[in-house]
Parts: sequence; C-alpha cells; structure tokens
Amino acid sequence: MFFHIVLERNMQLHPRHFGRNLRENLVSKLMKDVEGTCSGQHGFVVAITGIENIGKGMIRDGTGFVSFPMKYQCVVFRPFKGEILEAVVTMVNKMGFFAEAGPVQIFVSNHLIPDDMEFQTGDMPNYTTSDGSVKIQKDSEVRLKIIGTRVDATEIFCIGTIKDDFLGVINDPTTA
Amino acid sequence: MSIEPFNKLVKLTARAFYDDIPTKGENQPKTGRSDNRGIAVVVLDALSRRQWVREEDLAKDLKLHSKQLRRTLRFFEEEKLVTRDHRRETAKGAKVHNAAVAATGDGPPVKEGEEKVKMHTHSYCCLDYAQICDVVRYRLHRLRKKLKDELEDKNTVQEYVCPNCGKRYNALDALQLVSMEDEYFHCESCNGELVAESDKLASQEVVGDGDDNARRRRREKLKDLLQKMEVQLKPLMDQINRVKDLSPPEFGSLQAWEARASAARCAENGESSAMDPSKSSHGMGYGGTPMPFLGDTKVEVDFSGVEGKGKDIKSEADGTSLKVLPPWMIKQGMNLTKEQRGEVKQEQKMDGSASVAAPEFSEDKKFSTENNEKNIQDEYLKAYYAALIKRQQEEEAKKAQETQISDGPSAVSPNRRVGMKSKREDEGEDTVDWEEAPVTGNAENYKVHDLNVEADATADDEDDIDWEEG
Repeated sequence: MFFHIVLERNMQLHPRHFGRNLRENLVSKLMKDVEGTCSGQHGFVVAITGIENIGKGMIRDGTGFVSFPMKYQCVVFRPFKGEILEAVVTMVNKMGFFAEAGPVQIFVSNHLIPDDMEFQTGDMPNYTTSDGSVKIQKDSEVRLKIIGTRVDATEIFCIGTIKDDFLGVINDPTTA
Repeated sequence: MSIEPFNKLVKLTARAFYDDIPTKGENQPKTGRSDNRGIAVVVLDALSRRQWVREEDLAKDLKLHSKQLRRTLRFFEEEKLVTRDHRRETAKGAKVHNAAVAATGDGPPVKEGEEKVKMHTHSYCCLDYAQICDVVRYRLHRLRKKLKDELEDKNTVQEYVCPNCGKRYNALDALQLVSMEDEYFHCESCNGELVAESDKLASQEVVGDGDDNARRRRREKLKDLLQKMEVQLKPLMDQINRVKDLSPPEFGSLQAWEARASAARCAENGESSAMDPSKSSHGMGYGGTPMPFLGDTKVEVDFSGVEGKGKDIKSEADGTSLKVLPPWMIKQGMNLTKEQRGEVKQEQKMDGSASVAAPEFSEDKKFSTENNEKNIQDEYLKAYYAALIKRQQEEEAKKAQETQISDGPSAVSPNRRVGMKSKREDEGEDTVDWEEAPVTGNAENYKVHDLNVEADATADDEDDIDWEEG
C-alpha cells in the first residue's frame, strides 16, 4: 500500500556545496540518499515529492560539515498482510517461486500454489496446470495475496499465496 | 466451593485426551500383558476423589506399582494437570499428612503404629483444578484452530527443516536460503538440502498423488475431522463452559493444605488445643530428647516387657483418660470405643493394659515433665498397643500346640487395629481373641502379672515381626 507522508532527516552537507545553489544541492543529495531505501517502520521510500522546510544549519565541530534538519514529503510503499498485489515472477524452483512487486520480494511456496498446478523442470522451470492452459514461469505476471511479512530494519520480505479466488496468472509473457 | 463440576471436568478430560496414552517408557517392549493404557484415566479419577495424597498411598489404593504410578503422575505433571510435592520426612512426618487426610474423611486413616526414624523422600500429588481448566481450554482452542486454519489454508507459513542439523526455517527466510546452483533451499549453517515440513493432518497421505481431486479430498477429510471433534468433545466443551464462572477449588500447597485440614479437624473435634501440639511435640520429643528406649515402638514393646514388674504407678490417671474417651481415641477407630463401651471384659482388659503402660509413662515423665497430658495420651496409646500384643502373645503361649491356628488372627489383628483398615473384620477377630482370653486366665488382676511374665520369655521377637508388618 502506498502512503504520502512527511518525513524528517538531518542532512550533512560538505562545505564545498555552500553557495548560491546550496538548497538544490541539499535536495538532490536528499533524493540520492533516501529514495529507494527501506525502513521497517515506513516501508520503501519510492519518491520525494516536495520539501516542507529546511531548518537552520548547524556547523559541526571539527569537520566543517553543516547539518540541516529537513522535512520532506514522500511516497512510501509498505506491504501488508492480506494485501493483494500484482507482481512479476523472477525465479521459479521446486520450492515455489519468487516474484517482485516493485521493490518488494515475495515468495510463494508450492503449498500455496493451487494443487492442480505442477512443477515442470527444464531450462524454463514452471508451474503448469494439467491441461497446460495456465503456466507460471519467469516473467509471468501474477496477482497474489500477501500472507506474511517479515520486516527488518532495512528490509521487507513477504510470502504470498495464489491459492485463492481471482489470484494467479494475469499476463503470460509467452502469449503477449 | 463446589468441587463436583470440576471433578466431572477432570473425568471428561481424562477420557477425551488420556484414554489411550500408554505410560510406558519408549524402550520397553510392548506386550499385551503390559499394555497399560487407561491407567491414566484411573489415576485421574482416583485423584478427583482425593485432595493431597501421598503417592505411595495412592499406589496402594489403586493396586498399582508405585513406579508405574509415578510415571503416570510425572506425565500429568508435564501436562500441567497435577501438582506434586516432594519432601524428605520421617514416617512420623508422614503421619501428620495421614492425620490431615483422615480429617478430610477420605483416604486411609491415621497409622499410629509406624514410626521409623529413617528419612524417606515422600511425594505427594494433587489435582490443580484452576490450571486444569486453563489447560483444557487452551487445548481445545488449539485443536480447533489447527483444523480450521488448515481447512481455510490460513496462516500456512511453510516450514523447512534441515535434515542434517535440525535447524528450522520458514518461508519468510526463503530469500536467504535459495541457492544459485540448484532449485532447492539450502541450510545456512551446514548447506544441507532443506525439506519442507508437513505437520498437517490431512496432507500426510496425499503427498504423493497430485491429481485433481486431492485437494477436495483433503478438504473433506478436514471438515469431517472438525465435525467429529465438535461432536465428540461436546460434553467436555459444555462442561468447561459451565465451570468457566465458578471459582475452582484451591487446595494450596501441601503444607498449607495440611495445616488447614488439621485445623479444621481440631475445630470439629472441640478438644482441639491439645491435639495439634501433641502431634508436633510428639515428633519433637522423640527426635530431640535422648530417650533411646522410646525411640520407636519396637523398642518400647521390648522395654515394657522387660521392665514390666514396676507397675500400677499411674493406672488411675490412665483410667481417667480412658473414661473421658478423648476425641483422638475416637478418631483412631470406632471399634475400639465400641468394645470399651460394650463389653466389660474388655474394659477390664483395658485396665490391665493401662497398668502395663504405667512404667513407660513414669520413665517418660522423668525426661520431659512438661506437656504431661499429651504424653499421657501418647504413652497410653502406645502402652495400650503394646499390651494388646502382649495379650495375644499370652494367648499364644497358653495354647502352645495350636500356635499356627491361633497365631494367624492374633498376629494380624494388631496390625489391623493399627492400620484401621477393615473395622468389622477387626472387631470380629478381636472379640474372638478376647473371649478366649478369660478362659486361659481367671481373675482381673492376673493379667498384669501374666502379661509381664509371659512377655519376657516369648513375645519379643514376635513383636518385632508384627510391628514391621504394620
């Protein structure tokens, strides 16, 4: 689920960036630092959409670095248990398959794949129904439901299921 | 505090969950004879009729081997149904418990006779009703949750276990476990190949066949299982709902319970103040003061036999105590008092025995002049038993030829009397014995002399045997 929230961060700026475009330097450094990171509390920071305000800089003793307290708006993505996501399959193996929904990695174990789909080995391992009409392989797009999340300080990992109504393959790369 | 619904709960629980639990060690071979399933139910039922009980007594009552019982009880302790308590104590200390048991009206009555200085570790056990309620409710909850989760494929985070090192992972660790070389998960520590663990009830036998209706069959099986559980455990669930708002009976710890039980008994007996201190000082006196000849009953009997010539010192005092018939006497066993009241011969005989008791008492008095009354009672009691035995030995001596025949009952009866096991039988045998007694002798006071004279020669070794049996 996406959220638009305001976060705060102390940015340290090297004295060489001081000058006319100090503010631009600050913002670009903030984007470089923050976008794409993951915090357990808020999820993945997808993009910074604006700066609320920049506080007064404090020169740090000894280094000459100046730290600015910054408030910024950003879009974060945080997966939740029970959430339905669309994801791209990245790897298929005997134990199940891995998929990605943006920055989030999701594992679907073979117990959570419908019972009528069976694992087929080969150079393109896949899960296929007995009549061959539905196939899950690398780069397939699937709709899945998250049934568990593991949130570390800097990492979020999910397990999902496609063993439910309206879940499963939504776009097959071979037919597209 | 009604205990009845809780006992019903225990019984239902026993039958629902512990009916086919064999309490055998895993290593022992199973034969038809040694199949002891169902003992768990018997033990639980028996415990529901008791409060704190010594495990030896329970084993005796259930006619189980104490080891077997202990194994069962340990199992229940792990299951949190039973609290146990172990303590090192003399047989004397155990008597305190017996007294408490007697006060509650169930269990074996007080055994006054067995006094050994040896320390033994005694184990006691008791149902923990409050915990039983919680345990059973939790168990039911888990049962239902497991089945329902599986039925709805909910909360099924797959678990993986390493067959080499036994380390466990779940699907959330999948990212770290996946390896580049092959399509399996590998253990982080030993790089072994992980296997998916299926702890599911229904999936076990359908692992192999991946055909289309496997899932449907599994669901049906689960549904069936859930339904069966609901039906079969209905009485138990009803019962646990019924007791939910009742306060469970609380016995407290063993010490607290004993204290309370004996206090209650004292209260109902009226003559309470003398009772409990006598118990404690009793034990103290024997443990603390150096009275080698009063160390235990065995010795005492010998002593009274040898030293019996000095007598009649305190017979009056004993006589009065006899007439009063203090409550502890009544507690000891009703047959005694009936005999005393009913039959004159025995009354006389009691006097005789009392006079035998006298020397002991006087000896005792020298050492501990305080707590006189208690000592009187205790000593009287002991002397009385001693005299009884002597009485029987006297008879034995009289009919030396038919020793075998007359010895049987007379040897048994003191034990019976001491243990107070079966009163009616006891009474019958006693009356027989005592009605024979006047035939052998003639007057009332002959007994004193006779007793002592006879006892010197014959009685002692036989005494030992009798008391050890007791």
